[in-house]
Amino acid sequence: MMWHVSILSVGLTMLVCGADLAQPSDDAHREHAEPTARVESVPAVREMGKIGAWIAAAEHGQTVVVPAGLYREHVRITKPISLVADGRVVIDGGGRGDIVEITAPDVTLRGFTIRNTGIDLDRENAAVRAVAPRVTIESNTLEDVLFGIDLRESPDSVVRGNVIGGKPLDIARRGDGLRLWRCDRTLVEGNTIHDGRDAILWYSTGVIVRRNVGHDCRYGLHLMFSDDVTIADNQFTRNSVGIYLMYSTGVELTGNRLIRNRGPSGYGIGLKETDRFSVRNNLIVGNRTGVYIDGSPFTDRQPGEFTGNTLAYNDVGMMFLPSARGNELTENNFIDNIDQIAVAGRGSLEANRFWKGDRGNFWSDYTGYDANADGVGDFVHESHTLFENLMDREPSLRLFLFSPAQQAIEFVGRAVPAVRPEPKFVDEVPLMRPVLVACADSAQPAPVVALAASAFGLITLGGAVLALSGALGSAGLRSQPPRPSASGVVAAAEEVDA
Amino acid sequence: MTTIASWAPVERKSAVAKPPSFARNVLTVSRRELRDAVRSRWFLLYTLAFAVLGLAVSFVSAAGGGGVGLSGFGRTTAGLINLVLLVVPLMALTAGSASIASDRERGMLAYLLAQPLSRTEVLLGKYVGLACSLLASLSLGLGVCAGVLAWRGLATHPASVLWLAALSFALALGMLSLGMLISVLARRASVAVGTAIFVWLALVFVTDLAIMAGAIALRLRIEELLALSLANPLQVFKMWSLHAVDASLDVLGPAGLYATEEFGRTLHAIFGACLAVWIVLPLVVASVVFSRRSPL
Repeated sequence: MMWHVSILSVGLTMLVCGADLAQPSDDAHREHAEPTARVESVPAVREMGKIGAWIAAAEHGQTVVVPAGLYREHVRITKPISLVADGRVVIDGGGRGDIVEITAPDVTLRGFTIRNTGIDLDRENAAVRAVAPRVTIESNTLEDVLFGIDLRESPDSVVRGNVIGGKPLDIARRGDGLRLWRCDRTLVEGNTIHDGRDAILWYSTGVIVRRNVGHDCRYGLHLMFSDDVTIADNQFTRNSVGIYLMYSTGVELTGNRLIRNRGPSGYGIGLKETDRFSVRNNLIVGNRTGVYIDGSPFTDRQPGEFTGNTLAYNDVGMMFLPSARGNELTENNFIDNIDQIAVAGRGSLEANRFWKGDRGNFWSDYTGYDANADGVGDFVHESHTLFENLMDREPSLRLFLFSPAQQAIEFVGRAVPAVRPEPKFVDEVPLMRPVLVACADSAQPAPVVALAASAFGLITLGGAVLALSGALGSAGLRSQPPRPSASGVVAAAEEVDA
Repeated sequence: MTTIASWAPVERKSAVAKPPSFARNVLTVSRRELRDAVRSRWFLLYTLAFAVLGLAVSFVSAAGGGGVGLSGFGRTTAGLINLVLLVVPLMALTAGSASIASDRERGMLAYLLAQPLSRTEVLLGKYVGLACSLLASLSLGLGVCAGVLAWRGLATHPASVLWLAALSFALALGMLSLGMLISVLARRASVAVGTAIFVWLALVFVTDLAIMAGAIALRLRIEELLALSLANPLQVFKMWSLHAVDASLDVLGPAGLYATEEFGRTLHAIFGACLAVWIVLPLVVASVVFSRRSPL
């Protein structure tokens, strides 16, 4: 018996392994079956392919239209031309090196599907690399790439409407979906970047980043030493950090949506030593930390502006390091964040303001009322919850969130003034209603039918058990013990009888 | 007993032909227990209380936030988890602790043991019957919650409701087991129920508060903190539900992250094993004690 079982299990294991092994080789077959030169025969020095030949034949300023098909070549654009795909044009890099390299200014690359770069992080294998100014990279689809679009000293460029998908590698082995290095005044618009490392701006001034989507990356958007950048209407979901600003001055963040950026960092927006910034009308939902502020604003030239943002359902709404000073929060909505405002360590929030003039914020945990109906609560909002304070000091205590013990501590903190902590911050003019947010479309459609079905299932289950018990009026045992007078005799007689 | 339905005599015939099996005896006792439980007031009371509180919690957490149209980020489930943590252990512990002890006081136990049933069969039968009644109570309560949430169009993931129902039942089984042990050990029903409430208090509040105090005072490392909290079945239930609903425990801070990073997919097995210990161990001990000691 044991033999049978073990033989069977070995057989099964082999079968499974075999299937696993067969997978890549199948792919390889398909690749080889396509009617082009063998991938392995492409030498390290780039041979000129068909597209290369057309580029060589083109005049300056001409538009080269590439007919639909699969091209296995590495393309180098050395003169100012437009390279436009007609239909589905696939340029396959064969898993090695860069694929399209742009060395001339004023080049346009439009409509291609570019796939399969190398995975050499040292050489930063990229699908599209430009080293000249004023390039336009538009409506391309980049699949299975290490670096997606890598612009090196290409100011005044346009990156628009591309879809950039990274390789399914471990995060440490991935490349950047989009990288701008010294690309002033570049427009990054309407791109989708997923499964990459970062979309990153290095030393690029006056860049506009708008209406892009980034998901499942490390940093959805990362600024390093990039000044006067406008970041508007982007959406970053499920990254480690949505938008991380570092050492940059003059950044405007408007109307972005940062949703479910979690993991060990897990910030919606991170600000590190950023100066002269304004964060307005962003929707920051379900992140581990909504906004993380470290040493920002860096100087006292201009207060850090946070206005009209909605921070909801984050584990921590806003996290201030003790170095954060000079921020002003007005008309933001703080909705059901487990910890609305946190200070790391034993820092203080004294140098930051949570209201200005007659404009405060909306706090979902505000307990006061508004008797004169002016929209502003009649009592100041002071945050002093005991458990929050404990969590700020001892983050590992978050383990006890959602437990009755946590609520017991909160209750004690409210009821016993002796243990009530000092208020973390004060909002003297708390708003009674949330500032309107234009985010109705972000609410996921409720899976009502499935929910109703599961409700029905549960009720049926309960009902079935009840019905079963109802049908058991006839069980073989009685519910009441027999009368003491007749006790054992009656019982025994009944059981034996009939 | 002479007006009983048709199958009972059949069973008796077969009982004459061959002695009834262990499973059949357990089933017979459990049927009686289920019927009694459903007829008793506590079942109705707990089911109602659970459903009403569950509804209140769901509404507050799903409609919270001033109606900005953001829901479905797991807060409804978190609220329900909190409710289950309070109510379900109380339900199961009191039901379990009352079972044997009150039967003993009423003279019911003497009657039961006078039947051709072993003591283990009686104990196990009662356990199964009570478990079924708890299952009915929980699924009715959560089913009504889910139904009303669906009716009002408040986003809650159906999978999370089903997970919550299953895990609540697992927690209830563990607590029922503990309650039965208390019931076997106690001489009087009032003592048994009092002890059960004390145990409930300890599990719900005292243990967690003690671990928290310990974490601050002794500067426990997060793995120690995690291991300690795994000893509390309520914490296990809470972590397991959060893990099942969200696929990550990072909402629980460093210790939760550590658990996710370190154990990943085996977390289900770990939590399952912890709860299984709480289900099996007290029941086995109760069975041994019940068989050895004079039950009356």
